[in-house]
Amino acid sequence: MFTGLILKERRYRFNYRSTHYLTTNGFYEFLNWFDERAWYPLGRIVGGTVYPGLMVTAGLIHYVLNLLHVTVHIRDVCVFLAPIFSGLTAISTFLLTRELWNQGAGLLAACFIAIVPGYISRSVAGSFDNEGIAIFALQFTYYLWVKSVKTGSVCWTIGCCLSYFYMVSAWGGYVFIINLIPLHVFVLLLMQRFSRRVYIAYSTFYIVGLVLSMQIPFVGFQPIRTSEHMAAAGVFALLQAYAFLQYLKDRLTRQEFQTLFFLGVSLAAGAVFLTVIYLTYTGYIAPWSGRFYSLWDTGYAKIHIPIIASVSEHQPTTWVSFFFDLHILVCTFPAGLWFCIKNINDERVFVALYAISAVYFAGVMVRLMLTLTPVVCMLSAIAFSSVFEHYLGDDQKRESPPAEDSSDEDDKRSSGNLYDKAGKVRKHVSEQEKAEEGLGPNIKSIVTMLMLMLLMMFAVHCTWVTSNAYSSPSVVLASYNNDGTRNILDDFREAYYWLRQNTDERARVMSWWDYGYQIAGMANRTTLVDNNTWNNSHIALVGKAMSSNESAAYEIMQSLDVDYVLIIFGGVIGYSGDDINKFLWMVRIAEGEHPKDIRETDYFTPQGEFRVDKAGSPTLLNCLMYKMSYYRFGEMQLDFRTPPGFDRTRNAEIGNKDIRFEHLEEAFTSEHWLVRIYKVKKPENRQPLGHKPRITNIVPKQKYTSKKVAKRKRGYVRNKLVLKKGRRAVRKAL
Amino acid sequence: MASRTSAFPCRLPPACFLLVLLLLCVQPGGSQKKKENMLSEKVEQMMEWSSRRSVIRMNGDKFRRFVKAPPRNYSVVVMFTALQPQRQCSVCRQANEEYQVLANSWRYSTAFSNKLFFTVVDYDEGADVFQQLNMNSAPTFMHFPPKGKPRRADTFDLQRIGFASEQLAKWIADRTDVQIRVFRPPNYSGTIALALLVSLVGGLLYLRRNNLEFIYNKTGWAMAALCVVFAMTSGQMWNHIRGPPYAHKNPQNGQVSYIHGSSQAQFVAESHIILLLNAAITMGMVLLNEAATSKGDVGKRRIICLVGLGLVVFFFSFLLSIFRSKYHGYPYSFLIK
Repeated sequence: MFTGLILKERRYRFNYRSTHYLTTNGFYEFLNWFDERAWYPLGRIVGGTVYPGLMVTAGLIHYVLNLLHVTVHIRDVCVFLAPIFSGLTAISTFLLTRELWNQGAGLLAACFIAIVPGYISRSVAGSFDNEGIAIFALQFTYYLWVKSVKTGSVCWTIGCCLSYFYMVSAWGGYVFIINLIPLHVFVLLLMQRFSRRVYIAYSTFYIVGLVLSMQIPFVGFQPIRTSEHMAAAGVFALLQAYAFLQYLKDRLTRQEFQTLFFLGVSLAAGAVFLTVIYLTYTGYIAPWSGRFYSLWDTGYAKIHIPIIASVSEHQPTTWVSFFFDLHILVCTFPAGLWFCIKNINDERVFVALYAISAVYFAGVMVRLMLTLTPVVCMLSAIAFSSVFEHYLGDDQKRESPPAEDSSDEDDKRSSGNLYDKAGKVRKHVSEQEKAEEGLGPNIKSIVTMLMLMLLMMFAVHCTWVTSNAYSSPSVVLASYNNDGTRNILDDFREAYYWLRQNTDERARVMSWWDYGYQIAGMANRTTLVDNNTWNNSHIALVGKAMSSNESAAYEIMQSLDVDYVLIIFGGVIGYSGDDINKFLWMVRIAEGEHPKDIRETDYFTPQGEFRVDKAGSPTLLNCLMYKMSYYRFGEMQLDFRTPPGFDRTRNAEIGNKDIRFEHLEEAFTSEHWLVRIYKVKKPENRQPLGHKPRITNIVPKQKYTSKKVAKRKRGYVRNKLVLKKGRRAVRKAL
Repeated sequence: MASRTSAFPCRLPPACFLLVLLLLCVQPGGSQKKKENMLSEKVEQMMEWSSRRSVIRMNGDKFRRFVKAPPRNYSVVVMFTALQPQRQCSVCRQANEEYQVLANSWRYSTAFSNKLFFTVVDYDEGADVFQQLNMNSAPTFMHFPPKGKPRRADTFDLQRIGFASEQLAKWIADRTDVQIRVFRPPNYSGTIALALLVSLVGGLLYLRRNNLEFIYNKTGWAMAALCVVFAMTSGQMWNHIRGPPYAHKNPQNGQVSYIHGSSQAQFVAESHIILLLNAAITMGMVLLNEAATSKGDVGKRRIICLVGLGLVVFFFSFLLSIFRSKYHGYPYSFLIK
């Protein structure tokens, strides 16, 4: 099932490395950890710049297991953390859906989230990621929030705050919660559904949640200093004003109250709004950060932050990826939303807002499909469950959909009449003969059959997607031969192992940032940039080195103390995710910081094409990345139909086959040429001149023999100036 | 003048020196002076024009005199375009707008000087210029440096970069070392539209203040919510950001394909089809539910039920087949291949 215990994605390596550090050195050491292995020569303060929830969770499980003398390695804990948490996610989804609709919908929702492809990418064994545990925290926080709005008890709300605290410690996506819950409260106010319960729940949640979230070092004072959190504060103030006016209502006449009410509410809203604007203007509150801003103004990132735009996860979503990740759920969840809005109550307002905001975010960014998946599962489950409820059940006991403001009694009452698994169908059908006003058993069974068939197709789809797209680790590539046998290309691990074994322990490896965590984690060597893209100018410097010519790049590499350069080259096997295909992003990012030295136009042909063959631009054919990728590739003939030096990824014969290096030498190339490592030579003691030394003393053509003989020897003046007739050096050289 | 005399060997007595100086002034300095006069005249003329309009309109003669002719100490950016309505160049009009924005931000910036001028040559006023420069497409942006002939990079790469004024400003900064901060006149149309909408809604509410039931109409709200959901799940946001064509017409046989062949992209028409399919499936689910819960004639309810079922099953299998045609290697299908 698993190809060994491999942590799959690149960033998981970093999480694992941090967890390992945490378990070996303790929590406080971890908080103070300054990682000098990354971002050379700057280093990175890890303790203060990560969300520690994932590492602490894994470390805690490891600690408890070891306390019980179950000796497992921390790696095993890390590998199996995601499946454990996906189980917990299923449970919390069940609880949340039960609160929203009924138990049957809850069961279906739990089934859906257990297998839906949109979430399974984060929940397979070997994925060790913040998002895996964050979705659990998200769902559980929402469950507790809905519970506390329903009951109005401080106990549930405190639980909600603790769960929120866990979410803050785990993932930056906590901003979604801290904006969605205030939005819910605000909409409830607008709908005049204000109640004591809402007041208690939100006031407690805001205060306790705020204090707790500020305990995370990475978050710090952000909750009171940034615009992302201001909506929550504004709604808090508004709620207090509203509650105060409600209190006054009992003490005033109706006419007085109405004027006061409108005046008060609009004044409060205006005051909150102006305060936020004033504080933003004076700099007490930071404006929206670029990453959040790009969610609203969708063109923003493309112009201003190429590093965000360059990540494939930050692209907008096509309908194909919606369908791929959610299959039938994406077509049926609007029906669930419809039912929820038609039978609205306090908590269904919440789920409707959740669905609409999450679907917007998922449309803007592929990556945020993850936050959409749980709500799609819940609403689809509601849609399917209400259909099954009517078509599987007995006509006599037909029930109206759960009444408004359904409480726990409702659930108990309706739970007796839920559809169960297919085994019970026969009994119901036989009883339906008596039904007079029912639809009749035939139609009912047809509907049931077809619905079950659709769900079965969903299950089959999920299995297919999981086995094809999400379960092979990206460190190991698999290719299929004509006869269907599978080849494993293990070049990455081969190369990292080579680095680990053959290079100096303090060696510094330059590569594009995608591979930073992998090099640090698997080869245990110092990197210059990595997947935590916090310093754009440093990345731009690496991009500049990759896109300049060799001597200019050598200067940069010297100033950065680079010992090895690692690149990914897919031309031999036709791997499309290699560095040449990413190259334009390197150029773009470098151009953003060094517009004088790097120009994107130079890398295109006059027709505006990006080509690696003879027609390509000379700047491209001589830049460091090109030379490193295609060094000695021109000597290699892959098969007899193509000329030597034929790049399979770009389907072109390369344009520069005679590549020589002056300051670099090839150190290692993996079996399928996927990873190539170059050693940067140390500067030589004597700098060789690039040309012949200039001739300064001109040697006469024939050897000068003194005519003086001993007899005719006269005295001579030492160091007397002798004029030599000048000759042209050029002719001499010829 | 001074540089000329200082280069002169200064052994002559002062009187002679003065004489020589006078002679120099009269004789070879004449052409120099004329040149300078011409230059200052040109600069003055250009400044006067640009003080009147931020973009100077030029015809063939003016172009040759002020842009091509050598004594210059200023850069000129020229937009070659065809703005006459009968030319039907819609791109030119868009490019012209962006160009005006850029020229205005230069004209009214604090750094405004006589080092850079923005001009425009229309095809209908200076067709000879177009022929002279071998130009056969409009709009084209060119930069004429103060010294020497324009090089390859002095022609703006419109195809690849586009003509946003920010990009133009970047290109100009690259060519002339003049940094222009693009200041777009704030676009009030959005604000006005919003204000109109708000006042319209407010007015409607005020007129119907005795009967505000429709705000509590759940169907309306549910419809609005579903519209947002359908728009997003059918990839309208992708269309908005990437701007794909509506459909693709094969130039060889004239066949129009509405579905993009790759799973990485989509056409606008395709996303509309998907939107309708999703809506139909959702409607089917709702109808199934309606049929079971509503009270009424059993026969009618049966029909509703069957229609709902048909909608769900048929359109889902249709959707699946479209998905299958786009996602190569997907093995499953349902009813429709």
